[in-house]
Amino acid sequence: MDGTGQDTEPVRYVQIDESLCNGCVLCMKACPTKAIRIKEDLAQVQGFCINCGECARVCPRGALAAARSNDFDLSETGEYIVSPCTTLYAQFGEDVLPNDILLGLKKLGFWYVHDQAYTSEISSFATELYIRESREKKNAPFPLISPLCPVVIKLIAYRFPSLLKHVLPLATPRELVTREAKKRGAEKYGRKPEEIKLLHITPCQAIADSVMEGASREGPCQDKAIGINAIYEPLQRIIQEIDDDTVLHHSGGIGLGWGMSGGEVAALDRNCLAVSGLHETIRYLEMIEMGLLQDLDYVEFRVCGVGCLGGPFAVTDKYRAKHILQKLILIFGVEKRIKYKYVIDLYNKGWFFTDKEPRSREIKPPQLSSSEISKGIERQRSVEEIFRLLSRKECGACGAPDCRTFAEDVVDGDTTLENCVFLKKKGAISIQV
Amino acid sequence: MTDLIKIFSIKARDFVKAGEGSIQIQSLLKSIGFDTDLIRRISICAYEAEMNAVMHGGDGELRLMVDPKEIVLEINDNGPGIEDIDLALQDGYSTATPEHREMGFGAGMGLPNINKNADSLEIHSDNGQGAHLKIRFEVQNS
Repeated sequence: MDGTGQDTEPVRYVQIDESLCNGCVLCMKACPTKAIRIKEDLAQVQGFCINCGECARVCPRGALAAARSNDFDLSETGEYIVSPCTTLYAQFGEDVLPNDILLGLKKLGFWYVHDQAYTSEISSFATELYIRESREKKNAPFPLISPLCPVVIKLIAYRFPSLLKHVLPLATPRELVTREAKKRGAEKYGRKPEEIKLLHITPCQAIADSVMEGASREGPCQDKAIGINAIYEPLQRIIQEIDDDTVLHHSGGIGLGWGMSGGEVAALDRNCLAVSGLHETIRYLEMIEMGLLQDLDYVEFRVCGVGCLGGPFAVTDKYRAKHILQKLILIFGVEKRIKYKYVIDLYNKGWFFTDKEPRSREIKPPQLSSSEISKGIERQRSVEEIFRLLSRKECGACGAPDCRTFAEDVVDGDTTLENCVFLKKKGAISIQV
Repeated sequence: MTDLIKIFSIKARDFVKAGEGSIQIQSLLKSIGFDTDLIRRISICAYEAEMNAVMHGGDGELRLMVDPKEIVLEINDNGPGIEDIDLALQDGYSTATPEHREMGFGAGMGLPNINKNADSLEIHSDNGQGAHLKIRFEVQNS
């Protein structure tokens, strides 16, 4: 248990190469859930990890990496339907069109190729319908929050649980694809949907992990997910050899835009905001929790800067990729290509809805009893007493990310005051608390 | 007896630091383990009260008092005070300046919002003597 009364999840997202880690404080300071400590000159993940990847991003020695293997054996392609995230379309330069990429995947041997951007496009309209419906209800929570970024959902569950009810209760395009591509593939090729395996190609470590855990909100599945970087080279080679003119790409610019920050809300004719980057995301979630921004209908949060294009498994530089995506949006246009009535029918049938709560809701802290609250207050009072002794240089040399967390760790018995270099210098560690 | 008291200072017209106290209160109450909806109500009130002081009040302090049965916020400032408290409690009534409005504040929802989210609200203000708010929240235990 940690101070928030939540059970910590077993750590599995990040692994630390002890031969490369020199025990500097950068990853520990970057972690938004303060889950990392430095012990005996090595970083250790000991708290609740939301899989944001910040630690790996800031590590100058490359000592932290995704724990899960990202390999894919190309001889297995025949077993899978493939559904690439929109960001894949921005990885090969502006002369390679989405259809070429989808044909390339087909040529690699996948037996059915699904254009996820198309599903994203119809999802935009469904979101708009849901917003309109909610605005007519009294006391509906606003702003609504995009369910797309799994790190944001974990962050909300861990640090802002009162905002879970703001998360849009529609399935994400990836989840809809999981359901729909299987159904279509099954119809077309006479198989049973549950026999069908789906491969997601994603720039995102957190999405890959959640698919592999079978933790998708649509329920457990035998699907697989790999990073763009795991398939990039063979795909790029095979795209050069395409001599097929089948049309596999159906989305317009609205669906294509989802890969970058602002893309999801661009098509919404509502009062929206797109926020990207971890620290900005936290700042805006704090504001929403204080009851601000209620005039907004919908906020799209992405923890990666520039949006999903900035994911750790992307190959092309995120700003280049953004430029490519913007070009593609110009080429394919943003006019509404989809029959509104068709989307409304699907919406009314409940097609877009997910009956699964965000998985992270399970970790919602239990309501504490009076004596537990008393203990919590007592603990906090001790934390304040120790915090007052500290110099607040926030150096991290003690192995905790900041002075306040150090004070908490001392109270919890995880460290001792001797580990504060400034107290030691002052010779003040004899102070008993 | 109050088990835990924490004091945050408020500086008039410091819109950059404004809201800091509320954010700290939010995280402190979270680490104690209070119910998240209670924390949300408290942080809404703390933020509104803090912004009122920053906009109209002048320097002052925000005091958080926590015990297992009750959480109390006290906001005292040395500004011009509230001329007509009943009027100030009405939705949309505002004495904000155009400058405040340009920054997105001053919709006249501050005190009404506090009133709505608190279990009880006491306001004392004699003209010229600053504004003094006492906001109480009951802690419901399972």
